Amino acid sequence: MPLFDNDFLTRLEYLSIVSRKVFRGQLMAKRRTKQMGGGIEFADHRQYTPGDDFRYLDWNLYARHDELLLKRFQEEEDLHVYLLLDCSRSMSTGEPPKFDLARQVTAALAYIALADLDRISVYAFANGVLNHFPLTRGKARILSLMQFLESLTADGAATNMTQLAEEFVIRAPRRGLALVLSDLYDPGGYRNGLDVLRHHKYEPHVVQFHHAAEANPKMLGDVELQDVETGDFRKITVTESHLRNYRDVFQTFLTSVTEYCSAYGIGCTITDTEVTFDKLVLGMMRAAGTN
Amino acid sequence: MSFSNPAAFLWALLAVPVVIFYILKVRMRRMPVSTVMFWEQVFDEKQPRSMWQKLRHIVSLLLQLLFLCLLVAAVTDPFFDSDIREQRRVVVVLDTSASMQAPSENGGTRFAAAKVQIGRMIRGLKIRDEMALIVAGGRPQVVCGLTSHQRTLQVRLEEITPADGPTRVAAAVEIGRRLLPDQMNEEIVVVSDGCFTGAAALAAEDQIMWSQIGASSANVGITRFQVRRSLLDPITYQILIEVGNFGDESLDCSLDLKLNGELLDVIPLALSAGETRAEVREETSVRGGVISAEVQWEDDLAADNTALAILPERLRIPVTLVTDGNWFLQRVLEANDIVELTLATDVPQNLPPGGVLVLHRKVPEQIPAGNVFVVQPTAATEFWDLAGSIAQPLVDKQDKSSDLMRHIRLDNILMPEALKLIPKIDSKTLVESISGDPLYLQIPHDNGNILVLSVNLDQGDLPLRTAFPIMLTNALSWFAGGKGELIESLATGDTRSLLMPSKLQKVAAQHNNQLSLTAPDESQQHIRVVDGHCMIGPLGQTGIWKLTEVRNADTPDTPDVDLPVAPGASLQIACNLTDPLESDLRITEDIKPRQKFLNAGFGGRPIWFYLVIAAILLTMIEWLLFQRRWVS
Repeated sequence: MPLFDNDFLTRLEYLSIVSRKVFRGQLMAKRRTKQMGGGIEFADHRQYTPGDDFRYLDWNLYARHDELLLKRFQEEEDLHVYLLLDCSRSMSTGEPPKFDLARQVTAALAYIALADLDRISVYAFANGVLNHFPLTRGKARILSLMQFLESLTADGAATNMTQLAEEFVIRAPRRGLALVLSDLYDPGGYRNGLDVLRHHKYEPHVVQFHHAAEANPKMLGDVELQDVETGDFRKITVTESHLRNYRDVFQTFLTSVTEYCSAYGIGCTITDTEVTFDKLVLGMMRAAGTN
Repeated sequence: MSFSNPAAFLWALLAVPVVIFYILKVRMRRMPVSTVMFWEQVFDEKQPRSMWQKLRHIVSLLLQLLFLCLLVAAVTDPFFDSDIREQRRVVVVLDTSASMQAPSENGGTRFAAAKVQIGRMIRGLKIRDEMALIVAGGRPQVVCGLTSHQRTLQVRLEEITPADGPTRVAAAVEIGRRLLPDQMNEEIVVVSDGCFTGAAALAAEDQIMWSQIGASSANVGITRFQVRRSLLDPITYQILIEVGNFGDESLDCSLDLKLNGELLDVIPLALSAGETRAEVREETSVRGGVISAEVQWEDDLAADNTALAILPERLRIPVTLVTDGNWFLQRVLEANDIVELTLATDVPQNLPPGGVLVLHRKVPEQIPAGNVFVVQPTAATEFWDLAGSIAQPLVDKQDKSSDLMRHIRLDNILMPEALKLIPKIDSKTLVESISGDPLYLQIPHDNGNILVLSVNLDQGDLPLRTAFPIMLTNALSWFAGGKGELIESLATGDTRSLLMPSKLQKVAAQHNNQLSLTAPDESQQHIRVVDGHCMIGPLGQTGIWKLTEVRNADTPDTPDVDLPVAPGASLQIACNLTDPLESDLRITEDIKPRQKFLNAGFGGRPIWFYLVIAAILLTMIEWLLFQRRWVS
């Protein structure tokens, strides 16, 4: 069954319309950059300092208060949306695989961004950047993007978010919205990578994928676990007590992701693979709208 | 130690496949997961002890082999030689008499407490001990022979029900002694309240273990109760009542007398401690039915507070008196309330059904069929010849066994003249003169009997004596087939041979000489009729028992009636406790149990039982350790 069939495209178009009519691009489209500059929308005043351009002095205010204040305008520019897609082997697990949902969400977000005339770029990563869809603009590029996504496979090495972030900040030409679509199963920890993105003034948004068997495993007795990313084996005897502990540990992990994102103002979406991509994207829009 | 089934050791060969399966390593399931980092966190928190980790597999094998050994050992049924040497044989005698229905000190009845105690003894038997159960009710009976099967004993014990009868503990103990062969470790355990004569002596015997049940309590009970028709007045009946106070305090109570549920009389009773009072009351009624006496006093034993008796109904007899005139004879018959008298001067051709023809100084050529009472015959017939008269006949012999001569003595009566009768056929002389001539003769006849009294009534004392109306009443009752006479109330535990009414005899003859005896609780048993008599008893329940025809599947139902002899041919028998020993619920302090029954307790189980318990425990341990994966 193809990943992006006609039904997918129909739902994608519907999603785009809903995004524009209802949420008015609150997720990413028409977002304003934080740069002040030569826009037409007034933003703020600041004290004049020598060397400032006289054209931006507020003469009316000077006439009334005899004080030199400089008008600041918000500069409007195209939003750069970077979609960082995890292609490590752990994304291939689950039924359906997490990777399929991640790619559909990537395509949907990219479509919405392209429809709002934003620029998008997709980076496939595992222990670093594996592949790259260059920065592009216009809805017409969506088919190329889909072809790119379909060509990707989740067979990368173990996830290394730090390595990804360091390579990404070098490759990305401009700052913008960086959506990380991953299960965040990084043995070294996912925080360093997100910290690097934050420190380089990107606006990260995390979408964590997991499936039901990861959150609530059922196996009991003697099993030999194989880590699909590292290939390591671990022989264990699983009891009900162990399953309870595992559920606690996994829930703690998800909670830590949420708390980290909340602490640094990072958008965060945690989802399992039971939901469809359109419901997930709508949910992300609602969450962005309430914030 | 010995084994009942040593061949079962072959099951130990199952250890071979157990070891083989242990050696064969089972490959673990391989499960790919996204990451093991969460599992590492789980397992790194609680590291298993390395020593246990090394030994867990061999411990599993050893537990399984031990489990197999325990099961094999259990199947071989091991036992100690001492079990054979110390084997006990116990006979338990359970008192099921009426007094055991009195309440015990722990609530419930003494009988229930006794059953609980015996149940405890059964559970306390060792595996090779044997026990027998004997009930000491009205008829001592072995309800379960010597057996070591505890469930059988428990089932038989549960089936035992209390009776209203007397105690026969001594007889039951004698049966128990016969059950026990002359060996060591034999015991007879008597479980009783000791309310019978000789209880203390029995408890003191060497082989007897006495288990005392119940505590003393006061009681009022009816100890005698009989009803009979008056000998002089056919519609009067007499009631003999005896009530005893078996307590240590005086009391005032009353006694209700009822006929078929209708109150006849209320007798106030003031009884001092230990007093027994007997009284005879007279009542009048033609009707028959059930006479009941009820003591109005709340006490611990209900079985002796009520007594019943059957009052026979007086059926009216059509009597035709053919005479030229005899004032005494006519007045005696007219004064009899059960007689429908018809006077005649000529002998009728036929008699009414059940009627009696009295011929005074008149004898036809052909005596009609039926019951005929001939007084002073004037002519010879086909049954007798006349050979003149006897002057001053003196009575020499009376047939005291005959119902016709009941309560009659003629030897002191002056009789100046009598006719000399010479019987032509076999007859029975009821009264014989000193010269050997019959004065009162019973002759069989077509569809009846002939009674011939040769005494001249016009002379002598006979019509003036009480013997004369009694003689006529006896004759009429005898002609009626015994109807309306005394039906004795039986005491529980008594055995009596009762003469069955003729209708019932005929019914029994149609059913292989058997009758059905129905108890007050509607249970039935068959009774054999021999020579017109039934051997009844001992009866185990107080109340009204019924003798009826045997009901087969093809026998049509006929409604029972409350008459003593119903048209459907049945006979009611009243049965009462009327036993002072059972009514006395005070326990003698002379009973001193010397030994106590030794319960084996939990240690009395067979060895295989413990082996199975151990195997079950081992299974639980193995399950906890390995199947539940409490260790990893």
